[in-house]
Amino acid sequence: MPGQALRRGCLSIAGGLLLWEILTRLLLENELLIPPPTSVLRSLWKLTLSGELNRHLSATLFEFVCGFSTACIVGILLGYLMGRYRWFDDLMDPWIATLYSIPVIAFVPFIIIWFGIGLFSKIIVVFKITAVAIMLNTAAGIKTIDPVWLELSNSLRLSPWETTYKIRLPAALPYIITGMRLGVGRALLGVIVAELMAANAGLGYLLRDASETWDSPKLFVAVVLLAAMGVGSFILIRKGEQKLAPWRETAEW
Amino acid sequence: MKGALKLISILSGLVLWHLVATRVVNDSSLLVSPLVVIAKGYEMMFVTAELYPHLVASSWIFLYGMLIAALVGVPLGFLMALSPVTRDYVNPWMTALYTTPRIAFAPVLLLWLGIDIASKIAIVFLGCVFPILINSFYGMRVVSREFVEVGRSFRLSGVALFVKILLPASVPFILAGLRLAVGRGLTGVAIAEWFGATEGLGYLIFFAGQTFNIPILFVGVAVFAILGIFGFQILKIIENLATPWRKEFETK
Repeated sequence: MPGQALRRGCLSIAGGLLLWEILTRLLLENELLIPPPTSVLRSLWKLTLSGELNRHLSATLFEFVCGFSTACIVGILLGYLMGRYRWFDDLMDPWIATLYSIPVIAFVPFIIIWFGIGLFSKIIVVFKITAVAIMLNTAAGIKTIDPVWLELSNSLRLSPWETTYKIRLPAALPYIITGMRLGVGRALLGVIVAELMAANAGLGYLLRDASETWDSPKLFVAVVLLAAMGVGSFILIRKGEQKLAPWRETAEW
Repeated sequence: MKGALKLISILSGLVLWHLVATRVVNDSSLLVSPLVVIAKGYEMMFVTAELYPHLVASSWIFLYGMLIAALVGVPLGFLMALSPVTRDYVNPWMTALYTTPRIAFAPVLLLWLGIDIASKIAIVFLGCVFPILINSFYGMRVVSREFVEVGRSFRLSGVALFVKILLPASVPFILAGLRLAVGRGLTGVAIAEWFGATEGLGYLIFFAGQTFNIPILFVGVAVFAILGIFGFQILKIIENLATPWRKEFETK
């Protein structure tokens, strides 16, 4: 029963927050270690009023959107080619496997040395971390297409362009969406890593600033906002997945 | 044919890299030839042996984090699969923790646990635990109804049913979760060592990056890549050995 699940979930969150508030108020005299939720809220309110929050949020969102959309376009294009042409797949495979297994964070020093600390380097980080997932999933989708559909397009005398546009891409769509869902969480991580390394605005910068000045309520504001962004984009993509590919069953998360 | 194309791809990529590094860029603080990187790697492994302390430090963090993640993730995943009440109460917190970029927790964990190994293990744990938990949960949930009914008709008790049917049926899922956790765990190691460390592969990379020591930077990144590929392959082999009845099982 989804209603009951929702009620229990809300109850769990509310109870946890209340417990957190009471415990921190009673046991801790110092807000440094764990600030109670109310002082986190107060800090959030202050940051909103001063307009600082707006600046950080828009910087992070802009970098996120630029990097993610570039990754989607390039990832789907390359993934399509990899799915269609065996030799292209073989050619790309070793490099993708290498790129995939390097933690993005180990890559950031290079990107800063090569591309500086501006917007461009952040887009590259997000691109690197997202594109591979989308590429691999698109390729898998194109490869596993049901041959009956291709025969159908043959008997309808569809041109190669129409076959791509009307048969192959829609068939691969659920896979592409899955790749994008995997990519979203990673892209957010990429933005934050890049901003932590070098930036003068953005949530990653806020995080670093707060932790270096030992401002715990502010630190928790950054963490909570990141959590909200993560959950929000996750729900959005899952909704999109259900809408675009309703026949596909998904796991609980 | 397939192997040949891959080999050609790797070789031509390396040659291109060498040419770009020596002819186009020609600045050793930006890019160096793969030959220099290999020479540096050889030196660090066999001449000065300076790579090993870093490798050992990172390996311990990684193994501890993985182990604790498996010990927590598998039982919790089972519990959530078997008891809907637990699932409903735990789910919102799990989703929030899972979808937040892990790196956001790093400063908080550092504040709580200090810059010793404990906070590093915690960061790796946080990265590894979710794929393991989710896969154990999912594995337990999708156990075929027929298997359970067979168990019931043999009058297996709750415990026996769990040990003989539910557990073996979810093993492939758990192993797939572990495989996914390897990559996330390595990222966790790099993140952890970036926030205040004096040794480890992550430290090596960031120190090299900050001092513009490109050869060491490349060696560090290459070691990460090799570890990732090996860990993935080893778990794939274990997976095939442990679950011979399954041919291929991908959760990409």
